[in-house]
Amino acid sequence: MTALPEVGFVALAASLLAVGIFGILTRRNFILLLVSIEIAMNATILNFVYFAAFSSGTAGLTGQSIAVVLVGFAAVEVAVGLGIVLALNRVKGTINVARATELKL
Amino acid sequence: MNVEEIAFVALAITAVLTGIAALLVRDLVHTILWIAIFFIDLSAIYFLLDAPFLGVLQLGVYAGAVTILLLFGIMTTRKRIFSREAATGIGPVSFGLAVVTFIFVVAALGELPQGATTISSYDPAALSANLFNVNGPWLLLLGLIMLTAVGGAIYLVREGRE
Repeated sequence: MTALPEVGFVALAASLLAVGIFGILTRRNFILLLVSIEIAMNATILNFVYFAAFSSGTAGLTGQSIAVVLVGFAAVEVAVGLGIVLALNRVKGTINVARATELKL
Repeated sequence: MNVEEIAFVALAITAVLTGIAALLVRDLVHTILWIAIFFIDLSAIYFLLDAPFLGVLQLGVYAGAVTILLLFGIMTTRKRIFSREAATGIGPVSFGLAVVTFIFVVAALGELPQGATTISSYDPAALSANLFNVNGPWLLLLGLIMLTAVGGAIYLVREGRE
């Protein structure tokens, strides 16, 4: 049983989400976009784990279970994202998302 | 401050700095190295929160598998893996927006309770019972989505497709 500052975890998760959103908005390389999404997703998972540790009984266990499932979802997202990276590289010769304009009107 | 609090503050600062460094360095391989440190750092935070199962999962899935997958993505799409990206152009508008958001977040954090929370620890056996019994359908859904994602990824990278 340890005691940790409440506000610190919320601040950390908010900062990581901000860093992830910054990356999504400013970078044009697909792999850097994936990295940004992973950082934002880790902020979400950290929130689940922290509030699970904050709760007692079944609610805490459910929070950790959801975090486990979210880690799986993140791995799936990276696998499909890298499939898109390889396909984009073969078709366009680059992984710059600004060049992927086929679906634009 | 006790030892746990000092460790948390150090790990939190490292997490934010490595996250920013991963997005700002110009070598993509260096991005992967920074993000690996970020994942290991978050795993240490999970251990600090008395969630050892998630800590090990974070090390295995994120620091292990995701990092290597991203590295393979760089290796297969570049002639030279140490080639550089263009620098991020951060204009005055986005910088001002970031400052306003930061002030808003700090003001919102001031409204939160400032006390210390006692972290409850869980038996991994109780966690696995909860994961496979109560939340079993979520795991089945995850398995189904993973299977679909494997099919989708194979479809995307197969030969002869334009």
